[in-house]
Amino acid sequence: MKKIILALIILLSFNFSFAQDSNEKLTITFKDQNLVTAIKTIESSTSYKFYFDPTWIESNKILISENFNNATIDEILNKLLAKTDLNYVVLKNKVILTLNNTIHEKLPGNFFTDAPPETVNDQNDDSENPIFYKQLDTLSNYSVTKKSAVVFIGKENKDITKKNFTLTGTIKNEETGKPEPNIFLKVKNKNISTSTDLDGHYSLQLPRGVNVVEIKSLSHKEITKTVIVYDNGNLDIDINEKSNQLDEVVIKKKGQKTTETVISGLVSIDIEGMKNVPLILGERDILKVATTFPGIKTTGEGSAGFNVRGGKEDQNLILLDNAVLYNPQHFLGFFSAINPYTAKKADIYKGSIPADFGGRLSSVFDITTKNGNPEKFSGEGAIGPVTSNLSFGLPIQKNKSSILFGARATYSDWILKTLDDENLKNSQAGFYDGILKYNNAINKNNNLEATLYYSHDRFSVSSDSIYKYSNRLASVKWDHTFSKRHKSALLFTNSEYKFNIDYDTDDINSFDFGYKINESQLQLKFNYAFNEKHNFSYGIASKLYNISPGYQHPTNPNATLVPTDIAKEKALESAVYFGDNYKLSEKLLVDLGVRYSFYASLGESDVNFYQEGLPLNDATVIRTEHYGNNEVVKTYGGFEPRLAARYFFAEDFSIKASYDMTRQYIHLLSSNVTQSPTDTWKLSDANVKPQSAQQVSLGLYKNLKDEEYELSLEGYYKRSKNILDYKVGAQLLLNENVETELLQGEGKAYGIEFLVKKQVGKLNGWIGYTYSRSLIKLDSQFNEEKVNGGKYFASNFDKPHDFSAVLNYKFTKRYSFSTNFLYQTGRPITFPIGTYNYGGAEYTLYSDRNKYRIPDYIRLDIGINIEGNHKIKKLAHSFWNISVFNVLGRNNPYSIYFVTDPSGKVKGYKTSIFSIPVPSITYNFKF
Amino acid sequence: MKTIYKNKYALLLLLSLFLSSCTETYVLQSDTYEEALVVEATITNELKKQEVKLSKTAKLEDDGVVNETGATVTVKDDQGTVFNFKEDNGIYVSEADFQAVPNRIYTLEIKTKDGKVYQSSNETLTTENQIESVIPTVVTDSKEGRGVQIRVNNYDPSNTSKYYRYEYEETYKIIAPVYRQEKLVVTGPQTVGLEPNDPNTRVCYSTKASNDIILTTTTNLQEDRVNFPVRFISDQNYIISHRYSILVKQYVQNLESYTFRKTMKEISSSASVLSPKQPGFINGNLKCVSNTGEKVIGFFEVSSFSSKRIFFNYSDLFPGETLPPYYTDCTEEEFKFCFGFSMPTPCRGNVLIDRVNSHTITYKYNIESSFYYMVPVECGDCTSFSSNQIPSFWTN
Repeated sequence: MKKIILALIILLSFNFSFAQDSNEKLTITFKDQNLVTAIKTIESSTSYKFYFDPTWIESNKILISENFNNATIDEILNKLLAKTDLNYVVLKNKVILTLNNTIHEKLPGNFFTDAPPETVNDQNDDSENPIFYKQLDTLSNYSVTKKSAVVFIGKENKDITKKNFTLTGTIKNEETGKPEPNIFLKVKNKNISTSTDLDGHYSLQLPRGVNVVEIKSLSHKEITKTVIVYDNGNLDIDINEKSNQLDEVVIKKKGQKTTETVISGLVSIDIEGMKNVPLILGERDILKVATTFPGIKTTGEGSAGFNVRGGKEDQNLILLDNAVLYNPQHFLGFFSAINPYTAKKADIYKGSIPADFGGRLSSVFDITTKNGNPEKFSGEGAIGPVTSNLSFGLPIQKNKSSILFGARATYSDWILKTLDDENLKNSQAGFYDGILKYNNAINKNNNLEATLYYSHDRFSVSSDSIYKYSNRLASVKWDHTFSKRHKSALLFTNSEYKFNIDYDTDDINSFDFGYKINESQLQLKFNYAFNEKHNFSYGIASKLYNISPGYQHPTNPNATLVPTDIAKEKALESAVYFGDNYKLSEKLLVDLGVRYSFYASLGESDVNFYQEGLPLNDATVIRTEHYGNNEVVKTYGGFEPRLAARYFFAEDFSIKASYDMTRQYIHLLSSNVTQSPTDTWKLSDANVKPQSAQQVSLGLYKNLKDEEYELSLEGYYKRSKNILDYKVGAQLLLNENVETELLQGEGKAYGIEFLVKKQVGKLNGWIGYTYSRSLIKLDSQFNEEKVNGGKYFASNFDKPHDFSAVLNYKFTKRYSFSTNFLYQTGRPITFPIGTYNYGGAEYTLYSDRNKYRIPDYIRLDIGINIEGNHKIKKLAHSFWNISVFNVLGRNNPYSIYFVTDPSGKVKGYKTSIFSIPVPSITYNFKF
Repeated sequence: MKTIYKNKYALLLLLSLFLSSCTETYVLQSDTYEEALVVEATITNELKKQEVKLSKTAKLEDDGVVNETGATVTVKDDQGTVFNFKEDNGIYVSEADFQAVPNRIYTLEIKTKDGKVYQSSNETLTTENQIESVIPTVVTDSKEGRGVQIRVNNYDPSNTSKYYRYEYEETYKIIAPVYRQEKLVVTGPQTVGLEPNDPNTRVCYSTKASNDIILTTTTNLQEDRVNFPVRFISDQNYIISHRYSILVKQYVQNLESYTFRKTMKEISSSASVLSPKQPGFINGNLKCVSNTGEKVIGFFEVSSFSSKRIFFNYSDLFPGETLPPYYTDCTEEEFKFCFGFSMPTPCRGNVLIDRVNSHTITYKYNIESSFYYMVPVECGDCTSFSSNQIPSFWTN
């Protein structure tokens, strides 16, 4: 754009004498000539030479018959070009034709000042302010996300004083060629809109100048046309149906979508925009960014797992390319296991969950990976203080199939090895992960995608034990289109999570301990756009779980330790679902979904039956029954209605309500306050009932200043049943009858979430505030199964007030400054309230569970982002990020714990993870 | 930023390098103190006056134990026998000798002076199982270094004991290394003199009981065979310098009482920095029947009991080796016996007299009557921290 302006300026400044010879009188006769031959006639009979793009006039079939006697060149050209969109300028003996716009002698006074685009547009009535390309430059501020060619309408005429012009046209389906009725057209930033009539015709009154016309319909791809209006004109537009209707509810686009979709409680993370958020140790982290949005929390720094709307850590379905990722974090939760450079988008459903998802109570983290670059080899990477990262994509068959590869590793081990301290030298801490994605657009109706992912963590807490854990997942997706309206996807996924503790001492009883979960799922999804009003989605899924709940094998052949292998667990979880996205009216959209899930716990196993009405323990076993391989031990199942509705009060103001029921058949066993990598997953069986939850939510969504600001206010109330908890000090590992250690209780959570988001402008970011509570009740007729007297008490992650602000200010295109501020109520803690003497030693008497709170959490991070220069041709595009984590240096307690020391005294300790400001610098590059 | 330098905290240390984590002591506060009854009641198959200890919980900042006085304590069996207990200095002792016998059901009932009634669940005697042997061996542990590992062995062919709790009582001979025939006494305001020392202050015997919870289980072993390290003593510990004796007491537990103690032990020693264990109230087998909301801590256990005592000398295990360092550092201290001003060595006559009077130093030797060389009192007089009574069970 700048080049054109420069050319114009040069042209203007070197030809100050333009049109000085236009007084020369010419005599020419045209007879049934078209414009091309007419110009040739002028060129051959005069000294004028024409400069133009032949395509502009080839289509002009108007025949000219005219006699000019002693006319000036201006008079001739005015006549010739009257019925075209062409303008001209005469420079000595050169005639330059231009399409639509005229060439101006002077630039308007405000050309180089940064007048806001609105002002420029509002001055359309002032013919002293012609329309320049510069306005198009400013279009980037309109956040036009779609590629849009500029269309010129009419012919610029300096004398026209009309403010508004009529743009008419027909909207047609590109494939069928049929006119599309009821297509909504809206002019961005202006209160102008219309819809096409039955023949696909439309008519818009547009002001002179730049207008961005958005063409929208639920069943079609959104199109944005940038038009420069000089006069009345015609613009026919071809539109396409949405190519993949299946993803319709999944894809969340920016802008109007938040108010428009039927889904409430959806957080979409813009992975590209994430690069400006300040970093911890230089790592870009999708999941950390997620926790700055209302309703998504963690128990603390360094705790694995998330708490979504008052739900436990195990109630989140974390999907990476449709496959379950069991442990999404590295290094005990300090880093996320998802490579931010290969991820495309992350959608987090915390409110209404579409019926095609199931199996967890609280949320779905739907993370998808990018495809490799289908045209050429390209990649990006980052070098940080703790890890380095590299990803690249390359085509296999150009524009058809490609692969993407990403890998990441730490060098912490190397740092440790170089240390002098004996303990640290023997310590280990390291992780790596890698992802490989293949995609193949086989043909118009078939598309194949496959992903392989592996992550590995290793650390040693003491010199004699090494902890390892790893995630492995594979997923294949085949999209097939039966017809434009009927589409399907077939998915196969397999995930494995395992951990292992290698306990190697001088003692003969050194051992190897391990755990493994493996699941495979086959899923078939359909989407059928029945008609204008109904869009059906339905499908079936079945998942097989295999768990090795633990083994302990002595490593020394002389060991007296018996090798222990806890019996394997197996189960099949299946579901069918049906959903109807039903558009009752322009304003009211409902999504009626229902899922029926069915679960069968399978043998081979020995199942204990306990005496009814007594607490489960070894003494109350009345019989043990053996079930053969694949024999059904116990079944559970039930309907899971998922209802959502959206109503537009105004075009930019909507209300949404939803009711959701979810069921979960797999539970995470953790006797710790926070999730740790050695927690084990347990399947529901004859003695452990599945969890279920019901949530109602209501939200208000409003866009201000034409989508510059997005506001949302959401409230929810959730009840859950059979939430798993444990007896005090429960033994969960290597326990054959782990059900005797478990308690199942009720959960109650409610909250109100407020979010303001600004995505455009120099200052952008979001501010969120949540007030929420999360309570649990563990009641029983037996004392040993009762916690806090059987009354509701705050869960470990109940943090009523939560405020976060992520703000970024762009000084220039290259420099930006970002901050991240967090405030949270301290999490609940069970506090020692007294001591007692037992057997000669002092012990601590604890308060009711979670009766007290640790101090509030406050943190401010800052970051400076420097983009490399914007030269098009250079080896790599670079990006520097300099961050300081916890600038305030606040000693935020992560945990407070109490120990009876050898002298028998109770001591309290407070651990903080990041107690001083932590600076980091990361270099990112793209090639 | 105080970081705990312990092996366990290696990870934390590691993190403190990268992540600047830190652990510091946290000031305890108890704005809401809840009083609860604490019951320690173990009835055994040993024919003796059985004991029940009742105390109350204390505020965190308070020291000492407050006993629960004036309560009525009874143990009943399923045949209607009632064993009454009478209070004796905070401990309730059965009026008559009795022992728990197999296949009877016992319950404990406590009525406190403010009228609260507590009852235990029904308990039966655990499998009777004798300690086979207690064996000391010299081992080198990677963490603790070299020392004596005392292991207890037993075997239950019926494979029903499974859960074991141990207590021990160790008694050791102490010989004051700087015992002298004479001792220094203050004879006047500025005079001292030597007198014959009491020969009974040279050799002493200290007895200490274990106070931690020592548990083991054989459930993960092929057979019910215990070979358990009950006590480890470093070769640098003065208690094994001469002759050492340990009485190992074994209580066979049932699953519930084992779990109760194990939980108590686990939550009090939870030191996992990154994911601490969920602490909470530990339910025993007692409850308040008069007010169900009342908290009571403790377990009424009916355990089969067995004990075994062994002796060993330092020279048996470490022949020819030098003794471990003594209880305290016995470096001599010089006192110039004069009063007033002196150069270059200052007068310390007053200090000497004060310390002898306060019984903090004892005599080692002197040069004339101008220099006295003294050592801490423990080095010359073992009765200052131990007892010179020979225990009745002691054999040489």
